[in-house]
Amino acid sequence: MITGQGITKTFRQRGGVLGAREVRALRGVDFAVGRGGAVSFIGESGCGKTTLGRIIAGLEGHDSGEITVDGVAMSSLRPRARRPYFRRIQLIHQDPYSALNPTRTVYQALLAPLALRARQTGRPASWVDGRAGELLDLVGLDPDYVLPRYPHQLSGGMRQRVVIARALTVDPEMLVADEAVSMIDVSLRLGILALLRDLRERLGVSVLFITHDVATARYIGDDGELYVIYRGQVVERGPVETIISAPVHPYTQALLSAIPVLHGLERPGAQPVAPTGTLEEDKPDAGCLFARRCPFATARCAEEVPVLGRTGDIPQEHACFHPEARSVVAVPAGRA
Amino acid sequence: MPSTPSDTREDSPPDAPGRTAPGVRIGGLSVVYRTPAGELPAVRGIDLELPPGTITGVVGESGSGKSTLALSLLNAVQPPGRISAGSVQIDGLGDVVTLRGEELRRARGRHVGYVFQAAQNSLNPLKPVGRQLLDLGRSHGVADLRALVREARDLLGRMGLDGARVLDSHQHELSGGMRQRVGIMFALVLNAHLVVLDEPTTALDMITQATILRIIREVHEERGLTTLVITHDLGVVAEVADRLAVMYGGRVVEQGPTRQVLGDPLHPYTRGLIRAIPRLVGDIGEATALPGRPPTLATIPAAGCVFRERCPLRMDLCATQEPPTVAHGGRLVACHAVEGGIREERAGAGNHGGQDGAGGPDGRDGAEDPDGRAVAAGAREEQA
Repeated sequence: MITGQGITKTFRQRGGVLGAREVRALRGVDFAVGRGGAVSFIGESGCGKTTLGRIIAGLEGHDSGEITVDGVAMSSLRPRARRPYFRRIQLIHQDPYSALNPTRTVYQALLAPLALRARQTGRPASWVDGRAGELLDLVGLDPDYVLPRYPHQLSGGMRQRVVIARALTVDPEMLVADEAVSMIDVSLRLGILALLRDLRERLGVSVLFITHDVATARYIGDDGELYVIYRGQVVERGPVETIISAPVHPYTQALLSAIPVLHGLERPGAQPVAPTGTLEEDKPDAGCLFARRCPFATARCAEEVPVLGRTGDIPQEHACFHPEARSVVAVPAGRA
Repeated sequence: MPSTPSDTREDSPPDAPGRTAPGVRIGGLSVVYRTPAGELPAVRGIDLELPPGTITGVVGESGSGKSTLALSLLNAVQPPGRISAGSVQIDGLGDVVTLRGEELRRARGRHVGYVFQAAQNSLNPLKPVGRQLLDLGRSHGVADLRALVREARDLLGRMGLDGARVLDSHQHELSGGMRQRVGIMFALVLNAHLVVLDEPTTALDMITQATILRIIREVHEERGLTTLVITHDLGVVAEVADRLAVMYGGRVVEQGPTRQVLGDPLHPYTRGLIRAIPRLVGDIGEATALPGRPPTLATIPAAGCVFRERCPLRMDLCATQEPPTVAHGGRLVACHAVEGGIREERAGAGNHGGQDGAGGPDGRDGAEDPDGRAVAAGAREEQA
């Protein structure tokens, strides 16, 4: 179980054309990912989802808030003592082309972490070769073909599977997959998503999936939770299927409305929501962060800050004063 | 309307009157790349017509030849590649393949506007956008640079940007969506009426993508353009394109009106591709990855159908004979199995998900398959 409470992070830039400025990447985010669970962070670029993923993977510090791994608060530990905890959380990068060393074969890429693992667990060195084969089998690759090859000899989908196999060498509890399929050919994406879903079931590994493409979030598990992040704040949170079929926050609705409709196969949703203005225009920090782009904003939204929580009989949590479920996503053309 | 290239060039202002959307006819186009293994075809025998005033979308995965096709419209295929056969007839310009040197340089920009993939990479990071605009004007001999700047400002304003501010900005001061709009401005500012957009929304997030797609459609109509959109994303063409061409292994395997192709795909690759797209609604298990992997330049089969390695309807014929492109209603399809196989099968099955011959019955097991098969296929190539 990995949790976070009130995570904040501010990036400060010095100099540059615009002078010193601050970017509030995260404004107090809570999350919890249980064993074998699936959590997806969605939002526009710059919303803070990647920063949050890096903080959770231990690659980036945060300013305030607490991360716990299996009940142990990370702030209570010295940096060195945190390492074995963060080793349980492995990051899968967006780009499988740059995540693998081009001068090393797949075997060499897997050897080092496996040898380390063998030492840690008191296994003989001979265990390594067998384990490398097992892991490649697990991610759907033929070890005999893949092991002696260099990354450039593999397709993007195969490379991403190798990256996942490498992450599994240290027996992680959680994989943090940051846009893990966006650079994979369309016809092969589902294979990677299904692999992540499969690893959850077979190994009990949990998956934190970071993406701007909401549709892909469904495919790592329909039991998953969705976090919609806007400018460093979670604005809606709940079961994936609930949020897709009945989103209540206007930002979530705008995100879902923006997904292309496959005309001929689908019809647009009945109540699409278009945001007014662009991300850059929504600067002021008072009130609701989305108010200036929100077509439903009222005077209250400009003054008060909505807090994430449940209201009425809406099943998911949201941070909106005027939550209203709207059907925004496309429906199959055949259905009435 | 100019009948030869020389009429419009020289010092005509950017808003030369009387220009209309040109038609484009690509005939028998082949492009080869020189490699240590000999000349390999990236694009082979393509026939594609862009009717005047339409938006055509070309969809394909990496290595399908879609970007090479787009570059051919400018006759801009770079060595070691070369156009080895065929023609690209553009109304008012003639066969682009035969243009050379100065003629060609002037045609680019004046007649054909090109929006490059990742617009940030096509802007000079050291110069403000406005200075680059003036460079463009001078290199094309535009006499009235003030009018050019005015036109650029109007175009940017039309796309929802503060034109004056953008022209004063360096590229790093602009967001991805703003850069993409700057790219579109550069493609249109010399009054080109044929516009090629290569992956116009890759690397943009959903809301920005929706905005850019709307702008592409609106500008296309207002200015009377013929537009070609190159993308790997079926959603993008579904949103903007009137017509759709699906490329695979350097061939156009299916083309026709977008709604027809998406609603009732005929070629097994088109069908597999549509089924492989993660959707927001419907049964998760219905979506399946295509088995195998797309061919690269080196692995495109020299004979027979380019898709046969991954095809559920593969027959003996497919290994030896390249399927001819045949008209089916308003559609052109290149598949041996389409005439008999698919039609019959569909009449019986009635649903697209039910006749999945290759991917495995559910997404999970199918997922183990794809690259496993790829391995097998790859190993075979290796021995050959």
